[in-house]
Amino acid sequence: MFLGCINSTAYAVEVIMHPSVSEPILTTSQLRRIYTMRQIQWADGRRITVYVLPRQHLLHLRFSKERLQMFPYQLDRIWNKLTYSGLGVAPITVSTPEDLLEAVRKTPGAIGYVESVQGVEAVNVVKIKS
Amino acid sequence: MLLKLKAKMVNIPMEKLFFVIFATLYLFSINVEAAEQDFQFHGFIAQGLIDVDGSNFVNDDRSLSPELTEVGLNASYQLSSNFRLTGQVVYLNGGNRYAEGVRVDYALLDWLVFDSPNWQANIYLGRFKNNHWLYSSSRDIPFARPSIILPQSIYFDGFRDIAVGADGAAIKISHSDDDYGNFDFNFSYGSNPISDKQAEIILSEFAQGTVKQDFETQASFYWQPAFSFWRFGASYLDSDFSYQASDNVDLFFDGDFSFQTYSINALYEGESWEFSGEFHQSVFTTKGFYHPLYYKAPVAQRMYVQSRYKVSNELTLLARYENFYSDRNDKNGDKLEENSGGLIPAYFAYHRDTTLGLSYDFSSNLRLRLEYHWFQGAGRLTPVVLPNPKINDSKNWQLWAMQLMYWF
Repeated sequence: MFLGCINSTAYAVEVIMHPSVSEPILTTSQLRRIYTMRQIQWADGRRITVYVLPRQHLLHLRFSKERLQMFPYQLDRIWNKLTYSGLGVAPITVSTPEDLLEAVRKTPGAIGYVESVQGVEAVNVVKIKS
Repeated sequence: MLLKLKAKMVNIPMEKLFFVIFATLYLFSINVEAAEQDFQFHGFIAQGLIDVDGSNFVNDDRSLSPELTEVGLNASYQLSSNFRLTGQVVYLNGGNRYAEGVRVDYALLDWLVFDSPNWQANIYLGRFKNNHWLYSSSRDIPFARPSIILPQSIYFDGFRDIAVGADGAAIKISHSDDDYGNFDFNFSYGSNPISDKQAEIILSEFAQGTVKQDFETQASFYWQPAFSFWRFGASYLDSDFSYQASDNVDLFFDGDFSFQTYSINALYEGESWEFSGEFHQSVFTTKGFYHPLYYKAPVAQRMYVQSRYKVSNELTLLARYENFYSDRNDKNGDKLEENSGGLIPAYFAYHRDTTLGLSYDFSSNLRLRLEYHWFQGAGRLTPVVLPNPKINDSKNWQLWAMQLMYWF
């Protein structure tokens, strides 16, 4: 699916996913569940692979607040607990927005975010309902 | 005794560690196409300086000490959509706070029993971490806890090796509801091997016998209302220990110890302010040990309230107050001093700490922490059962510490 067909001017950060995922609309609650690792499989049973930027990256800070309506340190607490206490798996951190886009493109079941969807191809853009 | 303890501490966990590493590498090698998302490595390293004035909390000569080292490495391998193998090994050096050395922090098989968009149920088999209190699973993770030294009333370093986790099985059930919020239920059952050093830390060097943890059962429940800044929790712990006196000369007799703890906690996470607090009440029953007919079951209480203020994305300030007394009917320790014929001063019955601190993030993975503690009382200094008033001769003592930490 190509982007641009979804009106996204209200936000400075867009949620994207691998084309294999057939869930083009998510609620904020669903997105939160996915990013806090409380939902780890899509409706079709495929495992969700969650990608993020480093915790101090400005785009990550914006994504947390605008899209998840959470503060980045809340995510840190949840992810650190999963990663360093053996309870589960946290999102995979990549270094740059370009790496993040590439990772979502090539990983079936992946979800991530980009600053702008202009010129971005080969990923689905997710519409977020509040 | 010390040599024996090293063997116990390192060898038993190392066997498990090697098992996990080899099993993981074997499974990884037979699946050469294992994707990045199936196999993950993470770790951390932290080194600090700590200076204590007025107690043996870190060292006996009270000098500035670099005994503030924490190193950890973990791996996680997704065997299938429902099974995951994971383990973490840590090296800790905290001076007198706990035994120095390598430990297997956790090594477990994670079985995802049930999964839906709103429900998750996991069973963990092996060595798991205590996931029941606010910071019990992150107490050894320097950047995941709120301060270098945690409130000793609840996260007592002298009990660290017993309280941090157990060998056995644990269950976690999570439910997410769009209207009512997030619910988490945890249950665990297991036990810990007790090293000679751990026995010495709790009982004293004069206890020549063997201590065994018979079992430990814990349960906890957490609720975060939908889109709320608050989260609330409650937990229960039940654990029995037994002491078998040495056949040779031993100051003590056979004995049984039992802990029952009830706790509640709350956490508020706002944009700039974070508040948290925990309250624990324990019944600690001792039968025998001091003499064959001894019986006592005092009720201990411990609590802390903590606030953190995020000045910027990099700088966070901390303020905390905690209070502990080992017997709620003897909060100022008068009875303790009287019953011991004056051998144990009253200030060994309680522990209070006022803490101020700050942390600064140089990057997403590098942090510096600084803090100062003002303590009153020696109720959280080791050894616990047979205190040492000679070395801990001050009711008031202080501590400052700084620690640099890196993680990936």
